[in-house]
Amino acid sequence: MHEEERLDLELHRRVGSGDRAAFEDLYRRYAQPAYALALRVTGQDALAQEVVHDSFLALWRAPEAYDPTRGPFRTFFLSLVHHRAVDAVRREERLRKRAERVSNLEPRTGEDVAEEIVEDAYLVERRREIREALQTLPPDQRRVVELAYFGGYTQARIAEELGIPVGTVKTRTLAAMRKLRRALYRED
Amino acid sequence: MNGEHDRIEELLAGYVLLALSGEDAIEADRLLSEHVPSCPMCRDTLAGFGAVAGELALAPTPVAPPDLLLPRLRRELDRVSGRRRRATIAAVAAGVIALVTLSGLSMSLASRASKAEHTKVQLYDVVGTLQQPGASSVSLESMDRSSPGMVEVSGPGFERMYIVGRDVPEPAPGHAYQLWLGSGGTFVPVGDMFLPDDGLVYIRLTFDPSPYDEILITEEAIGSRATSPSRGGHVWHASLTAAA
Repeated sequence: MHEEERLDLELHRRVGSGDRAAFEDLYRRYAQPAYALALRVTGQDALAQEVVHDSFLALWRAPEAYDPTRGPFRTFFLSLVHHRAVDAVRREERLRKRAERVSNLEPRTGEDVAEEIVEDAYLVERRREIREALQTLPPDQRRVVELAYFGGYTQARIAEELGIPVGTVKTRTLAAMRKLRRALYRED
Repeated sequence: MNGEHDRIEELLAGYVLLALSGEDAIEADRLLSEHVPSCPMCRDTLAGFGAVAGELALAPTPVAPPDLLLPRLRRELDRVSGRRRRATIAAVAAGVIALVTLSGLSMSLASRASKAEHTKVQLYDVVGTLQQPGASSVSLESMDRSSPGMVEVSGPGFERMYIVGRDVPEPAPGHAYQLWLGSGGTFVPVGDMFLPDDGLVYIRLTFDPSPYDEILITEEAIGSRATSPSRGGHVWHASLTAAA
């Protein structure tokens, strides 16, 4: 286990005991990637703030929802943020069509990118690996993963969007996930 | 069997990306409860794909959240930490729990994991607010008595209010619901228009509703940007001055 993951575990344990300082440490470690993810999925500042706010509040209220035997805290928490962001955007999408906003992973114009963002080197390195892994995918496979994960689209909706059969979306998704798994979890 | 596992793997890939719907979601639901727990190969696939999905979250360039977010969370934590159950709101809290449980029965399974988590957090939010000293709830009655009522939850100084309801009917085609707050007979639209999700309504607004004395929920044409509430279709109303 990486040292940073050990630290997360310790902070999570302390949050379970009601330690506010530990909670704020976790906030400082994950508020930025969480907000970036929520912003990418929802495309709306206010909605992204609500997602991040509610996700951290959920962590404080029910820290036992994280089971350390099932993977790193980071994966659990950012998955929680992702679930909430997708739920939020699907609610919103029932009311109005959204503009195209999932074409790439870079911040959109107008996003508040703080110059002074300081992030743990481990996360920086992991981000680089994840992006590299995504870039190794054929563009059609990468597109279905991005539309699903960052766009909150269902496979049926992706098929509509791209004008291809749902079966093709499924095939591309599976191929992409297999490749990503191999790339991100190759034997160390 | 390999063909069957390929099919399961395909479903699990969509499942971890929250991308399943319809029959696929139901099938994934069945597999996750009946097959995957006892199949080492599928368990490994689910764990591996789940880990990939978790890591994808790191891909976007980090963005600092607004500075006000942490102080807001601190205030919320103060309230949560100092909560006390009020006997007078216990019945309403139980009603909210029943609402969430019932709505869960009709969910398709693959979306249930995320929905259940989301609903659980919504439940924590509403019940946590109800447990705070000074919390109150008000019933929004259907004006024509044709639909179940909804409940508004807030409290003095809470700077947030909730509207929850179940079995809320879909509005007419091309329409959605709009929440209005009124003061002295003048109403202003609040928040985005909304639709019930499988009959369930959960609205959370972060502001202090105390300056207002009435709540309306009306049916408005999507995109109409109505400046005053229409009275056609479903309408719910509550007087906040009667709040306990």
